[in-house]
Amino acid sequence: MAYLSELVGKFVTDLNGERVGRLEDLLAAPRGDVGHPQIVALAVKHAGDLLLIPYEEIAVLIAPAIPLKHPLAQIAPYRPAEHDLFLARDVLDKQIIDTDGVRVVRVNDLEITRVEGLFFVANVDIGGLGLMRRLGLGKPTEKVADRLGRKASSNSISWEAVELLPGDAPMRLKAPREKLAEMHPADLAEIISDLSRNESSKFLDALDLETVADTLEEVEPDFQASLVEGMSDQRVADLLEEMAPDEAADLLAELPDERSKDLLNLMAADEAKDVRKLLAYPENSAGGIMTTEFVAVRPDLTAEQAIAYLRKMASEIETINYVYATDRDDRLVGVFSLQDLVLAHPRTPVAHFMHERIVTLEPLDTQEQAAQAIAKYNLLAVPVIDAEGRIQGIVTADDALDKIIPTAWKKRLPRMYR
Amino acid sequence: MTLSQRIKPLRVRLLMLLAVVGPGIITANVDNDAGGITTYSVAGAHYGLGMLWMMPLVALALIIVQEMSARLGVVTGKGLADLIRERLGVKLTALIIGILVFANLANTVSEFAGVAASMEIFGVSKYISVPIAGVIVWLLMVKANYKTVERVFLAASAIYLAYVASGILARPAWGEVARAFVTPSFQFDAGYVTLFVTIIGTTIAPWMQFYQQSSIVDKGLKISDYAYERIDVVVGSIFAVVVASFITIACAATLHTSGARIETAKDAALALGPLAGKYASTLFALGLLNASVFSAAILPLSTAYVVCEAFGWEAGVDRRLQEAPIFFGVYTALIVLGAGVILLPIQSLVKTMMASQTLNGVLLPVILVVMLRLINNRRLMGRWVNGRWFNLLAWMMVILLILLTVILVLVSLFPGLLGH
Repeated sequence: MAYLSELVGKFVTDLNGERVGRLEDLLAAPRGDVGHPQIVALAVKHAGDLLLIPYEEIAVLIAPAIPLKHPLAQIAPYRPAEHDLFLARDVLDKQIIDTDGVRVVRVNDLEITRVEGLFFVANVDIGGLGLMRRLGLGKPTEKVADRLGRKASSNSISWEAVELLPGDAPMRLKAPREKLAEMHPADLAEIISDLSRNESSKFLDALDLETVADTLEEVEPDFQASLVEGMSDQRVADLLEEMAPDEAADLLAELPDERSKDLLNLMAADEAKDVRKLLAYPENSAGGIMTTEFVAVRPDLTAEQAIAYLRKMASEIETINYVYATDRDDRLVGVFSLQDLVLAHPRTPVAHFMHERIVTLEPLDTQEQAAQAIAKYNLLAVPVIDAEGRIQGIVTADDALDKIIPTAWKKRLPRMYR
Repeated sequence: MTLSQRIKPLRVRLLMLLAVVGPGIITANVDNDAGGITTYSVAGAHYGLGMLWMMPLVALALIIVQEMSARLGVVTGKGLADLIRERLGVKLTALIIGILVFANLANTVSEFAGVAASMEIFGVSKYISVPIAGVIVWLLMVKANYKTVERVFLAASAIYLAYVASGILARPAWGEVARAFVTPSFQFDAGYVTLFVTIIGTTIAPWMQFYQQSSIVDKGLKISDYAYERIDVVVGSIFAVVVASFITIACAATLHTSGARIETAKDAALALGPLAGKYASTLFALGLLNASVFSAAILPLSTAYVVCEAFGWEAGVDRRLQEAPIFFGVYTALIVLGAGVILLPIQSLVKTMMASQTLNGVLLPVILVVMLRLINNRRLMGRWVNGRWFNLLAWMMVILLILLTVILVLVSLFPGLLGH
């Protein structure tokens, strides 16, 4: 990750090592499919003129001096398209207004992130630290804040949270600013995956346990593992308790066996039991990706009672879209959706409106089979039952689709599927 | 087209004009603040009518600069600080804003000093007058909407007529006055040169361009209002210079004739009493009070606009306290600090005044060059860039102003520079 303000002013050199000039601006093209503009060219001050160099000619963008892949003479200048943005000229310092037109702040900086070899404008820095960085005082500010015992937190919002209006008009927030105060864990995850490991563990230290747990759930397990590597066992154990059991199991599976065992011993007995059960299954099986957090009720409960029970449980359960009916031996006998429940007469017993033909998985079914079942029957989750028909857990749509749909696509699915 | 059709638009146009006027007149008048009145009084008392010939030139310079500021405002819909941040980046913005906030604070201090001085003429202690004035201007901005605030300011502008009355009561020889306006003269003594430069230097101060443009934007004036806004600017500039002339005339006809030496506007008001009668003296003091209170509201307001524009925070007189907390915060801070300094037991504020003048002088060349660059930027202004001749005139004037300002700064840094 880099900041636009740090890139601008750097020297650009061609393959022969000759200085082309200083970087003046970055050109970015809006992309309909990603929602973040992609860097397409560099604007370099060369012999008094602005030279546009296509992105493909750049060997390394984030470097003390930016090297090109060819000698300058062999490089065909980039032709700007109509909607190309000159980031420094058109976006930096732009006024940001709230949905109701009230002025909020200005664009203090832009964060540029690398995704699969391409660079995108990830976030809009609106914080005081960004402003100090522009003044060349970023590092001293952090030091002073450190000494005062406070974190100089950078404050950014996703590019997707703002709407660039045409021409000279300000940028408009897509949601009222009160809502932006709390960033979604997915956005935090995006930020930490952009940071170096050292930076990201500092970043995570500053957050409360619950937020860290939510954020960790949004990043890939191998990256999770590298993040918790430096944390104390006690903190990791606390985190694992906060995380959903399936996510916790995934993380433990990534850690060395020895540490994994220690951590399980440190965890509260209840949570550890769920996680142990999940760990017993192969990583890519239905059992490995399922969660043990689901709601089950007895079929003789009335709708009214079921709702009351849901209310009590809701805070601990990941997904309540489906409620499962089980008999005394935990055998799955029916399923009903939240919709069925709400629409049913309060006195009606669950047995009257639950569905008895249930799509189920077995613990050793593959992740692909889980995904197919979910796609075929248009479900949000599928229950996993053992040989005796006892419910072991459920596989939610997002976990099933995880490996099959690339993360970038998943991010753009409606939030309810995540 | 029949006659009635022609007349109706005229009436409509007059109403439009009345709706638009405000920013230009107010800005130009605040230029005659406590410091300005002192300068013009000293000019009249020490050199008689000898400096009147400068007044038409001062008016011209004022009109040129303020017209550009008005044009920038109506075309872009943004304040000057907005434009500087967007076009010239954070570093220059921080530098300009830093200096401007400090200079405006020093200016505000001198306005409250004006309040204290004028009320002392009526025997009111500064420990009473200054806090009351502070509370009044604070309440005005926080409680009233833009329209009311503008009306109050326009009324305050009208009170400047007190100086015209004071000038008439001083019974000048009108023939000589008329001749003095068209007879350039120059003296090469240190006092004269300093005053000469000060008159021009204080006439065009950096805060004015920021304030006028911001209030044009706050009022919501558009390019379609430009013709009327230009009238506002021209009328305001001329009115302000006429008032300044009458201050000089009043002091020339009385103090200069009797050979009285004065240092401040308060001295002038007191000295006028025995020479031109009680009314002339009272009017002069009231004028000073009005000018000081008026400017003590405008300078903090201008600062609040500038700070909020630079950082993109909500600003506007029409906003409520909760909607634009920083805007009102800056406004409040300047009033509290400005009035607070006066209430401290500090004997001489000359250093503060000097500091503010020097800072303004350092800033003015930067601001004027920035303005000219912005207004000639076609991406920004489209067809509303300066015309060729106007541009030439503007650049010449800016260079002249810069030269004079450099002299002013040097003189205030090294008081002995021009000899004694």
